[in-house]
Amino acid sequence: MKFWDRLLAIDRRWIYIVIWLVVMLPLLFPFKIRPIAMPPVIRLFNYIDTMPEDKALLISIDYTPDTEPELHPMAYALLRHAFANRTKVGVLCVNSVMSLGLGENAVRVVAEEFNSHATTNADSIIYGRDVVFWGWSTPFVTVLLGMGEKITNVFPVDYYGAATESLPITPYIKNYDDAGILVTIAASSVPQSWITYAQVQFGLPIGCGITAVSAADYYVYLNSGQFTGMLAGMKGAAEYEELVEQKLMREDKDWGLRRKATEAMSSQTAAHIAIMLFIIIGNVAFFATRRRKS
Amino acid sequence: MNLATDPWVWIAAILTLAVFSFLYRENPFYRFAEHLFVGIANGYIITFYWHRILVPYLFNPVFHGQKLWLIAIAIVGAFYFTRFIPKISWLVRIPIAVVLGYGAGASIPRSVDANILQQVKATIITRSSFADTIAGPGWQLGIWAIVIAIGVICTITYFFFSAQQKGILKPVSRIGIIFVMVGFGASFGYTVMARISLFIGRLQFLLRDWLGVIQ
Repeated sequence: MKFWDRLLAIDRRWIYIVIWLVVMLPLLFPFKIRPIAMPPVIRLFNYIDTMPEDKALLISIDYTPDTEPELHPMAYALLRHAFANRTKVGVLCVNSVMSLGLGENAVRVVAEEFNSHATTNADSIIYGRDVVFWGWSTPFVTVLLGMGEKITNVFPVDYYGAATESLPITPYIKNYDDAGILVTIAASSVPQSWITYAQVQFGLPIGCGITAVSAADYYVYLNSGQFTGMLAGMKGAAEYEELVEQKLMREDKDWGLRRKATEAMSSQTAAHIAIMLFIIIGNVAFFATRRRKS
Repeated sequence: MNLATDPWVWIAAILTLAVFSFLYRENPFYRFAEHLFVGIANGYIITFYWHRILVPYLFNPVFHGQKLWLIAIAIVGAFYFTRFIPKISWLVRIPIAVVLGYGAGASIPRSVDANILQQVKATIITRSSFADTIAGPGWQLGIWAIVIAIGVICTITYFFFSAQQKGILKPVSRIGIIFVMVGFGASFGYTVMARISLFIGRLQFLLRDWLGVIQ
């Protein structure tokens, strides 16, 4: 059997081992990559950064643990950005109850990050005053439409079981009119639903954080202006982390916060180079064996 | 090396390795992890629905004598379970019809606006298509707007099956298939990025949270 034939018939498990090594080695011996933010990410960042003070940021956690590595860093970065701006934040889940733990984790961890550096009550991020986690409700369409009229009708209690009417933040986020933008972080078709129901009906600006798999599908909504901005996959999360860190450093808040997406960029780069090499070698092998057979 | 002491981290790490063992071949460890996940996910969802939906929104009001009309709604919903009784299984059509009717009524007019009208509008080239924005200089954006308009027309022509693709339709549809292929290439590239990202996430967990060999 010739070299190219043997290459084409290689056991796929060898490829898995190569990918495993290519991804693992940069994690053990990282090389620094500074993400350069692309226009869709800059647009979302600038929009949130320049929102009027009385407008809130709504974040819809619409992903489940299977896509956590790609999407969870986006939730962290968005919350850090909002808390740094002292923007009021409402977090909810509409897609699955499996998203609840991730939403609760993001709100709690990022609030703790800020509170560990706070010196006064005003500096702190207080649950119920600065941020609320409404949790999950059903049915999906009713939630998206009902929030446009009165959020407390859809979420009479928050994730922790407290009556939402009694929370100090509620008068500031009554419905979509009080929201500057809603960012849906999703691994499904939920962003499309937010456009269909919340944007068409109520004119709510929508941004999205999505898995890389669905990025190609959602660029059309970005091009049409239906999405204000877009974070695509782990790379989009790393770009947003970079913008948030630059902002925090400008405000003398160089806290050295962990950037999970940025940390992964060296592995991501190495793996992409390996895949490109595989594609080139596979094509060369294919054409070489075809020419010989003909 | 700084091994985790949290038993939950060990359970998660062992289950991760059990799932990865499928890359070698199908085996009982993989199947155990898969079945465990399905069971726990279903158990969690059912428990959550019971405590956070049925109890506060149905049982509590009804048992306190309020919103008694909810009983009728609950009965209609319970018709879903008639699928298990062949003689009256036709009753399942009632809740399905309600859900479909409500869903279609709520979504069709809005979907036409969001997915057709707004998308068509985005392909119309106007003077604003050549305006400078954060996305780049105006001349560059204008060229892309023209490329998008050509791409849409050519791709739709390729999928126009009511007439034989000859004459002017032939070169136009050929250009259309190029746009389709570029779209597939972009999707594939993004898919690779997504899958690698998920693998990186798991490796970060194994190397940091479990083995403690990276910071």
